[in-house]
Amino acid sequence: MQIHGFLGRLADVLARRVLSWLHRRVEPGSREWLDAITAESECADDGWQRLRWALGGVPLVWTINKRHQMNEPARGTMRALIVPGVANIAAIAGWYAVIIPATYVATHFFRCHLFFGNQPGGCQEHPFVFGAIAICGGVLGMIIALALRARFAAYWWAVVSVFNTVGSVWYLRSGIVDLPRYGATQSAMLMAATFGVVLAAIVRETPWTETDHGPLHHVGHSAGAAASFLIRHRITAHLIAGTISFAMADSLIRMRDRHLVADNVNHYAVLGSAMFAAMLAGLIGRHGSRLSARGTTPVERPL
Amino acid sequence: MPRLPNTSPQTLSVLALLLESPRSWHYGYALSQLTGLKSGTLYPILLRLADQGWLETRWAEPEQPGRPPRHTYRLTGEGAKTARTKLAEAAPLIMTRRLASVPGSR
Repeated sequence: MQIHGFLGRLADVLARRVLSWLHRRVEPGSREWLDAITAESECADDGWQRLRWALGGVPLVWTINKRHQMNEPARGTMRALIVPGVANIAAIAGWYAVIIPATYVATHFFRCHLFFGNQPGGCQEHPFVFGAIAICGGVLGMIIALALRARFAAYWWAVVSVFNTVGSVWYLRSGIVDLPRYGATQSAMLMAATFGVVLAAIVRETPWTETDHGPLHHVGHSAGAAASFLIRHRITAHLIAGTISFAMADSLIRMRDRHLVADNVNHYAVLGSAMFAAMLAGLIGRHGSRLSARGTTPVERPL
Repeated sequence: MPRLPNTSPQTLSVLALLLESPRSWHYGYALSQLTGLKSGTLYPILLRLADQGWLETRWAEPEQPGRPPRHTYRLTGEGAKTARTKLAEAAPLIMTRRLASVPGSR
């Protein structure tokens, strides 16, 4: 008898969790029918009946979202496609058009060649100058992309910023003469930074974490408070994203160049790239969420 | 061949029930109990009928304090008219299906 009661309560909790989860899958403006099914679930006689009723919300949510997608193009197809595209191209290509000539001007001014290897006469002879250009270029690109609300470009420049920042530190720490595995380590850092940004962006940009920021009063207090792990533990989620990125990069490096990871400095540079990238992408996503919360939705949702 | 809209047996059973008292407001849970349709079948039907202008919806005050407002439904004038036509058209088809489901009828 006790077990029966316990299972009933368990089904009741599950039903509320299902409804809470479904609410996060629907845009706030399209929740009328899901609110209807939620309100009616209170009429169920027991937990199992309520769970069966709540599961009916799954096809309903599918129908609502399908209807939403079908109505979406009617609200300005061309504008919805062109504006974000132009903003992203402007933020990526436009900023490269500034940074590349600026770097050439600097090489001309310092009478050096545009390479960072161990060859004499390269930019490595002025590490602070070119490091500053690289880091500031990436960071400014990211700020410009955020100002244009071009989120894809912001993530792009986040990868560049991380790569340039960690790369500069690694370069100075390693010493500029006879740098071991220069190209391989740079590739590994770039790979780790890309993984970190992509994973953290996925954590940030998933629809069910974007559309809901508060407790869900209509599905009960316990269910409303039971927001997803991603919402409650943002920093932890990004640290996990960084760790996974590092693990992925590390595994790939070990398959190709085991000696690279034997060098601690190189290995730390890859770890630093992955973790820094994940945290930076988390901050970009947070900025986008704040814009959405203020009602100024970013012009696009890339990735 | 694509099926005509709102001619599925499930939709027709909802329409038939709503037509029994077209001016009264109906609750979703009661509709589900009376038609035997699961919530996952019933609500997409109601949503589609409301989108097509056959159904009007209203939030009703809860009967018990502390409960959320309930969504209620009734056929619009146009919806009732069209539903009657659809049910009349479908009557021979429904009869054929019923006969086919009876063992030994073929």
